[in-house]
Amino acid sequence: MDVERIKFERTGGFAGIRLAADFDVSDLPDDLSQTLRELLDALDFPELPAKLTGGELIPDSFTYSITVEAGKWHHTVITGDAPEDEKMQELLELLNRLARKKIKRH
Amino acid sequence: MHNHRHSLECILPEHMLEQIATKGSDAQKQMAMDNINVVYQLRAERAMRASLADLFAPTMPRAADGGKERIVYDVKRGTSLPGAAVRREGDPASADAAVNEAYDGSGITYDLYKEVYGRNSINNNAMRLDSSVHYRTGYDNAFWDGKQMVYGDGDENLPAEDRLFNRFTIAIDIIGHELTHGVTQFEAKLVYSQQPGALNEHMSDVFGSLVKQYQSRQTAAEADWIIGAGLFTPNVNGVGIRTMKAPGSAYDDPVIGKDPQPAHMKDYVNTASDNGGVHINSGIPNHAFYRAAMEIGGYAWEKAGMVWYATLRDKLGENSNFQQCADLTHQTAGELFGSGSLEQQAVKNGWAGVGITIGGETPEPKGCLEATLRFIGAAPS
Repeated sequence: MDVERIKFERTGGFAGIRLAADFDVSDLPDDLSQTLRELLDALDFPELPAKLTGGELIPDSFTYSITVEAGKWHHTVITGDAPEDEKMQELLELLNRLARKKIKRH
Repeated sequence: MHNHRHSLECILPEHMLEQIATKGSDAQKQMAMDNINVVYQLRAERAMRASLADLFAPTMPRAADGGKERIVYDVKRGTSLPGAAVRREGDPASADAAVNEAYDGSGITYDLYKEVYGRNSINNNAMRLDSSVHYRTGYDNAFWDGKQMVYGDGDENLPAEDRLFNRFTIAIDIIGHELTHGVTQFEAKLVYSQQPGALNEHMSDVFGSLVKQYQSRQTAAEADWIIGAGLFTPNVNGVGIRTMKAPGSAYDDPVIGKDPQPAHMKDYVNTASDNGGVHINSGIPNHAFYRAAMEIGGYAWEKAGMVWYATLRDKLGENSNFQQCADLTHQTAGELFGSGSLEQQAVKNGWAGVGITIGGETPEPKGCLEATLRFIGAAPS
């Protein structure tokens, strides 16, 4: 699918510390942007409901918000920490990793 | 770090929303309808949550001897809970620090509840204490999943200079915190959203901190009242995740930002994030407990802890708010120590110190009212 930009936010968790990052997909290394596109395609991201179930009732679990943008089109999906779809778990892990890279201290 | 959103993301009273939905402009009507939908959604989630404990109750494993039984599992960085059992009750210490911390921490938490409050485990019916360590990779978190404790290893997958978090078993109050989520699930069943959710978090911080104080036999004056001391790596400028003594001052760091906790109702944070700020606004009741415990003096688990425990067990309900918690802890202190006793006075003073008057009106969260007024065009400019 056509993806230009991704906005990612993780809230909640025991520490209650927000983790957020915006990515221009074109700025990512080729292998990562490729993986990202494949995951979004496999999930059929534009057709996902705005809110996925899984994990949101669990004390101290994380809540994630993922917004995918392409031109004027955008779609946001909110999910808990334990989505049933393994592809969604992979997407969350990848975005977490990218967000942590963005905020590393140097 | 935190968004201080001033849109209609706080939950407005329904009557107000319905008024706007009927009489507002088209844009206002749409926004009101969206908010009404959120209210309905929350209500459905609350109904689900209330049934969580009932759902799990029949399958809760029971300690073989009807007392204390712990099992620590290793998930080996995977997601399948609980993982492989690596240390059972009575087994010698493991070579794995996380395994031993989960074992020892859940044991001391059991002891506090049993010896001080007469409670036999999480469900007061000898429920076995299951803990899983090494959950996923790079998992900066610990949680209670309705049946067991789960701990991540922090940022073990990053280079040392980039790590912010150590393993989540490192602080015993985190273990007490997670187990107390289990106690709350069986008792008050506080819904995990807005003020009831912040009270749920508050109870976990109170008994988490008391487990640590009980382990070290510290008086209220000797305790540091920090939640999660040692969890941050030396890369972070902070003493811990939260502080009950001075909410808002646990950390101030260029990468992760500043501790957002308020210590007073005038600084209550209205936000849609974090289930309505459950880890943020818990600073207010946390500080009330600290003030009450300090005024009473001695070991905080003995009197202040007893008042809070009895209130959690017998009085709070799934939708209790801060005002009700204040009124009910005050009432409980009167029942346990006498009406007008020093203990009851200390509870009253503790809440007064965070802007809550016993028997007072439920304070309308300030930001919510302002947002409503602005929304209907009546806000003072």
